[in-house]
Amino acid sequence: MSDPVISLRGLSKRFGPVWANREVDLDLFPGRVHALLGENGAGKSTLMSILAGRYGADKGTLMMHGQEVTFSSPAKALDHGIGMVYQRFMLIESMSVADNLALTVGKKYGRRGVDYEIRQTAEQYGLAVDPEKRIFELSMGERQRVEIIKLLMLDAEVLIFDEPTSVLTPPEVDALFVIIDRLRGEGKTIVLITHKLEEVLKLADDISIMRKGRLIISEPIDARQMSRQQLARLMVGRDVVLRVDKKEVALGETVLALDGFSGDSPSGGPSFNEVTFEIRKGEIFSIIGVAGNGQTGLVSAIAGLSRAGAGTITFDGTSYTAREWAMASAAEIAYVPEDRYQSGSIGSMSIAENFGLTRLQAYRSGLAGLLLDREKMAADGRRAIGEHNIKVESSEASAGSLSGGNLQKVILARELTRKAKLFIAEQPTQGLDISATEDIWQALLECREKAGVLLVTGDLKEVLSLSDRIGVIFNGRILEIIDAHDSDRVDRVGLLMAGVRS
Amino acid sequence: MIEDLTFIAQISIKSSVAVLLATVGGIITERSGVLNLGIEGMMLVGALAGFAAGHFTQSPVVAVAAGTMAGGALSLVHAFFTIALRSNQVLSGLALTILGTGLANFLGRPLIGQTGVRIRQLPIPYLSDIPVIGEVFFNQSPFAYAAYLLVPLAWFVLFRTRTGLVLRAVGEDARSADVAGVNVELTRTLSVFVGGLFAGLAGTYLSLSYTPGWKETMTGGQGWIAIAMIIFCTWNPLLAFFGALLFGGLTALQFFFQATSMDLIPSYVLKMLPYLLTIGVLVLVSASSRHRKSASPADLGVPFYREL
Ligand SMILES: Nc1ncnc2c1ncn2[C@@H]1O[C@H](COP(=O)(O)OP(=O)(O)O)[C@@H](O)[C@H]1O
Ligand SMILES: [Mg+2]
Repeated sequence: MSDPVISLRGLSKRFGPVWANREVDLDLFPGRVHALLGENGAGKSTLMSILAGRYGADKGTLMMHGQEVTFSSPAKALDHGIGMVYQRFMLIESMSVADNLALTVGKKYGRRGVDYEIRQTAEQYGLAVDPEKRIFELSMGERQRVEIIKLLMLDAEVLIFDEPTSVLTPPEVDALFVIIDRLRGEGKTIVLITHKLEEVLKLADDISIMRKGRLIISEPIDARQMSRQQLARLMVGRDVVLRVDKKEVALGETVLALDGFSGDSPSGGPSFNEVTFEIRKGEIFSIIGVAGNGQTGLVSAIAGLSRAGAGTITFDGTSYTAREWAMASAAEIAYVPEDRYQSGSIGSMSIAENFGLTRLQAYRSGLAGLLLDREKMAADGRRAIGEHNIKVESSEASAGSLSGGNLQKVILARELTRKAKLFIAEQPTQGLDISATEDIWQALLECREKAGVLLVTGDLKEVLSLSDRIGVIFNGRILEIIDAHDSDRVDRVGLLMAGVRS
Repeated sequence: MIEDLTFIAQISIKSSVAVLLATVGGIITERSGVLNLGIEGMMLVGALAGFAAGHFTQSPVVAVAAGTMAGGALSLVHAFFTIALRSNQVLSGLALTILGTGLANFLGRPLIGQTGVRIRQLPIPYLSDIPVIGEVFFNQSPFAYAAYLLVPLAWFVLFRTRTGLVLRAVGEDARSADVAGVNVELTRTLSVFVGGLFAGLAGTYLSLSYTPGWKETMTGGQGWIAIAMIIFCTWNPLLAFFGALLFGGLTALQFFFQATSMDLIPSYVLKMLPYLLTIGVLVLVSASSRHRKSASPADLGVPFYREL
């Protein structure tokens, strides 16, 4: 193997009391894809953000071509040819693609030159984007392409991808892999942060695994000699079963029925049209679609957070118009929203408080119910921590300090205790590692024994593992509802997600 | 009749210059994501510094430079607190107005009733001979001419140059701009400073040209009108032109009614009207426009800092 392009030595980084990275040694080589694996909160994003100049390290050194370097800002790292495609894209949504790129590469090419270069680069690598479009008009896949074009225009030598496939459709994932493969062929150094074992096996040359801030496999290992099970075991530290065991559950009464439900997304996103389906107790009904096909607005209207424009909704035997529904109390609906940090929890409040948040009625006490029984809330919080295998020191820790997977378990536990008739889970395992995903899947399967479950996700595997029936949403419409026992469902769902009807 | 109207129009322009300059400065500052409620204070300090410099040196150039720089200097206090220390922008801005007002009142006491330099109307040859239009637009003070140039220039810089792109990017999404390689702190500091210069110039106009002399109530709340105007003009300097004209027009009408001695309405009420009606009209106009909310810089008022 040739000399490493990048060498990290003894890198440590602390956030308050948490060591996000501890004594990490890592070498990255040209012309190779280096997969960085690890559970959520293992410190992968932090490590790579240090390399990309967004964070400063507390200890350790960073060498590039054998020379010690320090990056005080992302700009400095970019100057050295190190660029990162962040999990949350770093694009200015209200501006056009061209303006966004001009911001970074404008100095190099001049404003006019930028437009020309965008087209050149896009064409050369098969990354189609319209330079005139504003970022908010683009799909997640297109936004990612903009980020990649940005790095290519800067001639980046080291390209870091932080969980790049979590927002993509299956065809988009394939396209991304083609590009990564090509970049590798050109001798670039590539880091791929991921949770997904298939991706590692398909693409990676070297593998590093992080756990709790440390690199547990510090010598990169040859990917091709590893099996899926071996990898998974290394990552989580124990054998994982990737299949769920799904009990037969008898169907009960209809919990929710939508008829001709139409409306806009609250934030001006895509609308949904004429949505009709029903969910019965005892089943998991899934809505799958690529992000941005109207599902956000639909769920928000079903959960009563926004008002649909037309249609009727029947909940637990009572019919409501779209307007009445928005006014009606949503007490009987449990809801795990997509954005666990923003809508799902209040970061500065403790786990116990977050746990009580949607069920404050249950904790009324004293002074005719004006006071809160905080003892009981804390006790319930502690019990949930135990039951759901939530890794945290105390129920008084702030919710914001939890990693994504643990926070999601807190929210899920809270919503489960509401004993609602309808349980809505929106992208419940997005960005979570295998063990957290498994726990959450298990909880959802148990949940359907007592309620009807509406699962909204973009993850094909999740849908195929859990659902009883699958509705595919495209362009705001449910194209088809497919039974989970359908044998060719795998292909059909994938095609329908892309809008192809056979 | 035509003479009356021409005269009112000319006074309208005269009365709108200060608000216009302050608004455009505020737009530049806010486009970078920093809210500065200290405009009134910076205007007042600019007015005093301009007047004092004129009083002592008798040089119009020195007076204008001093007034403008004083506004800029005061704005750096805001920049220090909000950008370097990341304190609350609303509080810091309010404190700036209080500080500026107090400072100007205290330091300006000996200058009350004194005379300084006056910058008079300067008809532009040929252009001012055009009937009506010439009289209205080109028989004004150099401050007005400066505004004619600065307003479109501000628009051009903001929306047609790389500098403007960087500035707006910082105001829209400081984190992304940072990753894109922009120096967020520096960009914001400079924007705040330029906003301060505009406010200082606006104040200087008041004390050297519009109502020459020094009076503690000289700005009369025009800084606050400017802050409202920024929002209603959807952070667009070109629209600020119309907003400021509205305020100037109403002010001129009020003068006209006072001068033609329509005693029916008390003068206090008349003086109040430009403020009330400007805000009223702007609210109505912008309530019917759907662009307003999306026009606000997304990171306005949000302090930026990077983990290190
Ligand atoms: N900006 C931050 N402030 C405080 N803690 C953080 C911050 N970013 C990450 N952390 C913490 O550092 C640890 C590692 O996080 P991260 O690098 O995002 O992990 P990964 O990408 O492997 O999921 C986690 O415990 C996380 O809570
Ligand atoms: Mg991460």
